[in-house]
Amino acid sequence: MFHSVPGVPRAKTERFACNNTGIGLHFGSIWGYFRPLFCAPKMVNSDKKMVAMKTLFKSDPKLPIYSLSEQAVTIEFGGEISQDILEVITGFDRSLNQYPFPGFIASVPAYTTLSVFFDPVRVIQSDEMPGAACFEKVSAYLSQLHEKLENTTVATGNIVTIPVCYDAELGPDIAEVAKIHKLTVDAVIQLHSTTEYSVHMIGFLPGFAYLGGMSESLATPRKGTPRNAVPAGSVGIAGKQTGIYPLQTPGGWQLIGQTPVKLFDANRVQPSLLKAGDRVIFKPISRLEFDHLVAAE
Amino acid sequence: MKIRILKPGLLSTIQDMGRRHYLSQGVPLSGAMDSLSARIANKAVGNTDDQAVIEFTYADAGFRAETDLLIAYAGDGMRLQCAAQILPPERPVFIPAGTVIQLIHSSIGVHTYLSIAGGWEIPEVLGSRSTCLAASFGGFKGRSLHAGDILSGIGQLSAISASLLRILKNEQINFAKWSIPRQLILPANRKVIRVTPGTEADWFNSQSIVDFFLAPYILGRNSNRMGFRLEGPEIVRTKNDELISTAVTPGTIQVTGSGQMILLMADGQTTGGYPRIAQVASVDLPLCGQLKPGDTVYFKEISQREAEVLYLKREDELSKLTTALKSIFL
Repeated sequence: MFHSVPGVPRAKTERFACNNTGIGLHFGSIWGYFRPLFCAPKMVNSDKKMVAMKTLFKSDPKLPIYSLSEQAVTIEFGGEISQDILEVITGFDRSLNQYPFPGFIASVPAYTTLSVFFDPVRVIQSDEMPGAACFEKVSAYLSQLHEKLENTTVATGNIVTIPVCYDAELGPDIAEVAKIHKLTVDAVIQLHSTTEYSVHMIGFLPGFAYLGGMSESLATPRKGTPRNAVPAGSVGIAGKQTGIYPLQTPGGWQLIGQTPVKLFDANRVQPSLLKAGDRVIFKPISRLEFDHLVAAE
Repeated sequence: MKIRILKPGLLSTIQDMGRRHYLSQGVPLSGAMDSLSARIANKAVGNTDDQAVIEFTYADAGFRAETDLLIAYAGDGMRLQCAAQILPPERPVFIPAGTVIQLIHSSIGVHTYLSIAGGWEIPEVLGSRSTCLAASFGGFKGRSLHAGDILSGIGQLSAISASLLRILKNEQINFAKWSIPRQLILPANRKVIRVTPGTEADWFNSQSIVDFFLAPYILGRNSNRMGFRLEGPEIVRTKNDELISTAVTPGTIQVTGSGQMILLMADGQTTGGYPRIAQVASVDLPLCGQLKPGDTVYFKEISQREAEVLYLKREDELSKLTTALKSIFL
C-alpha cells in the first residue's frame, strides 16, 4: 500500500528513526503521559490555501497522534475549531480513504481530530509499514501520508441545500427566539437561511451534523424543560449551534422549523445526508411545499 | 432450523461483531456486549465468529424448537434448561423439533449468546446484522425480539457444522462432551478491569487518579447498552477547559461536568465532549459487558503496549481454537 500513493517514494529511514524515538517513550506507561510528537510539517508557499495552513501550524508546529484504543489512533490537527482545520481534515481523510493501509477499517473526522480505526491483527501482520507495534506502524503510515500530501491536502465538500419550513406549528419556538432577540419572526428566518453553514462533524446520533457558522445574533439558550419527543427533521438552536434532529428523540433545543428531508436513512448508500466538510444552505419553503415533499418522501 | 420465541425476557436482540464502517456517519458500533462469549457460541457450532447471535439479557425467556436444532450458548446471564435437564454451555447441543427450552437465571452476569449452526438468517444492514436500537434498523426488523417471533438459521452449513450435526443428531437432546473453556481465556480475577491512560488523564487532580486505581467503583442503576454509570469517589478536574468533541469508542471512560464517570459500551455514541480518564483494554471489555447494577469493580493500569500485546495474544488464542476444531472435525 505504501507504494500506491502516486509520486510517493518509499519512506526515508531517518524519518522513521525520528518517529520511533517519540513512540518508544510513549509506551512507557505514565500518568500525565507523553504524546509522541512528529517532525514539523514542511510548508509550501505557492498554494493560496497553504498560507492559511502555515498560520495554522505556527502555534503548534507538530502533528500529534495519540492512541484511542488498541484498534484506533487519533490525529490532532490543531486546538481550535476553524474552517481551515475542517478543510485540512477533510482533505487528509479523503486521501486516507483513497490510499488505505493494510487493516484500515474506518476514519471518523471531528472538529480538530481525525480518528483512524483498524484491525490490529492485519496491521501487525503487514510488513509494508515499519515498526514493531500497531500504534507505531499506523502512526508511521499516517505521518508519512500527511507529509506526502502536504501541498494537496485541502478539500471542501459538497454544497447541500436543505428545504426548511419555518411554520410556527413545525417550529414551535420560533416566536420565542424572535422575542428573546427583539427580532421579527421574518428576521429570524432571514438570518437563519442566508448563512452558509459548514458540517464540522457527524456524531451524537446517526446523521446528526455539527454545523458551524450560525449568526451570533441567533444564539439562544436551550429550553428549561426538554421535550419528551422532538420529531425527526426538526431544526433547532442550542446556544451558538444550530442543527437538525435526524431521528425522533427527547431534546431541549429551541425548535424554529422542520425539514421534510431525511437526514438519516439506513437504506441509502450513504445513510447520513451530510458528511464532514459539506456546506449547508437552508432554503425556506411554505407549509404547502413541506406537506407536498413529506408526501413525496 | 427454526425457533419460535415464547418469551423474550428483558431485552433480546440480534448482535454480531458490530457495524464498523459507518462510525463517521454517527452510527454506533453496536454488536455483542460480551463479544468473547458471542464468538465462543459461534465457534462451538462451527460458525465463523462474525455470524449473528441472539443476545439475551438475564433470563425469564424461552423458545421452542420448531425444527431439529444445533445450537450453542455462552455467557453469564442464564442457563438453558429443558424440563429438569440443564444444557451445558460452550459446546454444540442438538435439540429435536418440538422441544421447549427455558432460560434460567444465573446470578453471575447479564448477557448470554445463542448461536445456531449456519448463523441466524438476518439481512445485513450497512454491513452488519447487529440491531441499532437508537435508529431502529438492523437485527430482527430493527427492534428487540417479541413473543411469537420466528427466527431461522441460514440453511448453508459450514463443513464443521455439518460434521457436528452428523455426530450429535439423535432422538433426544444430545451434546458434545467437550467444551470451549471460556473461563480459561478470561483472567482469574474478574473484578479487576485493566485500563490504559485516557487522552485527558492529566486533566484530573492526583487524588482523583489515586482514587481511580484504589477505590471500588459500583455500576449505577442508570446503565444500559449505551453506557455504564460508575459510582465511587468523585473525580476532580484541575483543568477546566472545554474538550472539543472528538471520536470515542466502546471502553472509553468519560468524566462528566459533575465528576461522574461514564463507561461507553457497545451502543455508545461515536463522538463525545467529556474528558477521558481511561480506556478499558479491549480484552477486558467482555468482562464489563457482564457487569450488572450494584457490581463492584477495580481499575488497574497497564500500558498501551501491554494492552496491544494482550489483544494480539487473545486473537491468536481464538484463532488457534478454530484451527483445533477444524483439525478434529474435518
